[in-house]
Amino acid sequence: MKRYVLMVIALIVTAVYLFPLYWMYITVFKSAAEMFQFPPTFWPQQAESHLRQVFEERNMARFLWNSLLIACGTTGVTLLVGTGAAYALAQVQNRWTSAAIFAVLVLQALPSSLMVTPIFTAFKGLGLLETPRFAVVIAQITKTLPFYIVLCRASFVQVPRELRDAALVDGASPMRAFFGVILPLAVNGILVSAILVFLQSFGEYVYARSLILDDQYQTATVGLSAFVGATKTDWIGIMTYSAIFVTPILIAFMLLQRKIVAGLTAGALK
Amino acid sequence: MDQATHRIQIENLSKAYGPVQVLKDINISVPEGRFVALIGPSGCGKSTLLRTIAGLEKITGGTLRIDGQIVNDMPPRKRDVAMVFQSYALYPHMNIEKNMSYSLRLKRSAPEAIRQSIAGVAETLGLGHLLERMPRQLSGGQRQRVAMGRAIVRNPKVFLFDEPLSNLDAALRVHMRAEIRKLHHRLHATSVYVTHDQIEAMTMADHVVVLRAGQVEQQGAPLALYEKPANKFVAGFIGSPAMNFIEGVVGPDAQCVLFGGAARQQVELGRALPPGQPVWIGLRPEHLRLQGEGQSVQGVVDSVESTGSMTFIALNVDGAPQPLLVAHPGTVTAAMGDVLKLYIAPQQIHVFDKTTELAL
Repeated sequence: MKRYVLMVIALIVTAVYLFPLYWMYITVFKSAAEMFQFPPTFWPQQAESHLRQVFEERNMARFLWNSLLIACGTTGVTLLVGTGAAYALAQVQNRWTSAAIFAVLVLQALPSSLMVTPIFTAFKGLGLLETPRFAVVIAQITKTLPFYIVLCRASFVQVPRELRDAALVDGASPMRAFFGVILPLAVNGILVSAILVFLQSFGEYVYARSLILDDQYQTATVGLSAFVGATKTDWIGIMTYSAIFVTPILIAFMLLQRKIVAGLTAGALK
Repeated sequence: MDQATHRIQIENLSKAYGPVQVLKDINISVPEGRFVALIGPSGCGKSTLLRTIAGLEKITGGTLRIDGQIVNDMPPRKRDVAMVFQSYALYPHMNIEKNMSYSLRLKRSAPEAIRQSIAGVAETLGLGHLLERMPRQLSGGQRQRVAMGRAIVRNPKVFLFDEPLSNLDAALRVHMRAEIRKLHHRLHATSVYVTHDQIEAMTMADHVVVLRAGQVEQQGAPLALYEKPANKFVAGFIGSPAMNFIEGVVGPDAQCVLFGGAARQQVELGRALPPGQPVWIGLRPEHLRLQGEGQSVQGVVDSVESTGSMTFIALNVDGAPQPLLVAHPGTVTAAMGDVLKLYIAPQQIHVFDKTTELAL
């Protein structure tokens, strides 16, 4: 009996969480008249699709490409730089590394809206605004790197120290021990952290909005905001655009779901 | 002995973490083929000492030689030592064959040679049918064998064991103890074995080093430590059940020790000590007899435990900080509150100075 009650509660909570997603997807197929109809319909009466129209009119291919470039660049650099830093901070544990981790956490706490003005001024001085997508990658890394280091360090800490010792005694150089023994064991945690960094960068708004002045290099998130006008908002357009933007991410998540859950519980299995 | 015959030579070795001195002035020589046990209570530095030999910890003073060569600053991979860890430290993402061949593959040995030596070692350890398995699919005893096999395959100069049996259950531990001993007989590999279990040390090693608080208290053959402990700590640590101690004073005739406050008792030593000197006398539980003649110690029975083959009787004796334990073969009828006499030969009595705790 108790199990059924819990099950019903779980279903209700899930439904509440998923409702906005559901609403977005059905709105894509509604007409303007049906959308504002009262009482609202929960299934499109006369299905009509605006997908192709929005995708082409809004030049989404270019926006998505820019978003993808920025997200990939950010994730790549974060992985490259952050993994080494996380490993170093996991290996050596003393008050200096504690201080370093604290500093990293503080960096992460600063919101982008606060950081954007000094970054803009600095980047302008450095001439980085000439390559706006690169500028956004650099700015975004300041946010993702601390986040990644903290997450990734946790998965390195979980790798038993004796495994590294065993590899060193077995004849591995510290480098070989890292790539041959430690990295393969921390790879799930690294993968999960990398996916989170990618998603965070793919949906980034503040830096793209402020640092990219040429529309040609603008990202999908900024493109979405163009639907909101001073006098009128194109809700069907917003929902259609969002659906196109979100669906690939959802599919990727579903495909990687098993890996992600495995990564989050890696410590329990060992 | 010259240095060449010594596989490991440790001279005045010390190790400090900042101001904390964890190893002090250690001197140990391990001749080729010798099985040495490092033993001591937890936190005595025995594992740290083993890790300095492996090169996993830097030493801060003294010299460490392997095969006559100073290795103070040599990284572990160049020392040609193999180590068996307490947790076995098998690589979880490699199957058993890959685990055992890891070091050979790092050395870029020929694949055919690797295959042959793995097969040979797996055969001797009874692991032949497990080579394709992953470590997580193995039982504790099997993992332990793999950890041993991984070391043996390398044919190293020195084997280092860091409490390798402490994660096994009691029966398996006794079994593996014999196996390691047999293996050592066959391979004649120089081995350093860390344990906190003195029975392991006594039964397996040719040479036992007792450590306390980072210092060597005594080293020598197992029976030498049992028969002639250098101080009260070693006397209490070696032997099971542990030695009994009674506080006393050397009598005016210099030949006996007086103890027991009001109910004054005395034991003859069979040798002379300065009269009036405060001492500890040490009596091994297995040397105390319930029947006999000559001198005896009297006490009141506190508890009786019988295992069938042995009976352990604890007696309260004035002057002893803990009840005196007697290990008597067979079964004995005694009840709480009985007054018993314990007979002991003078040559089996150990005497230690009260303050320095050194053997007298």
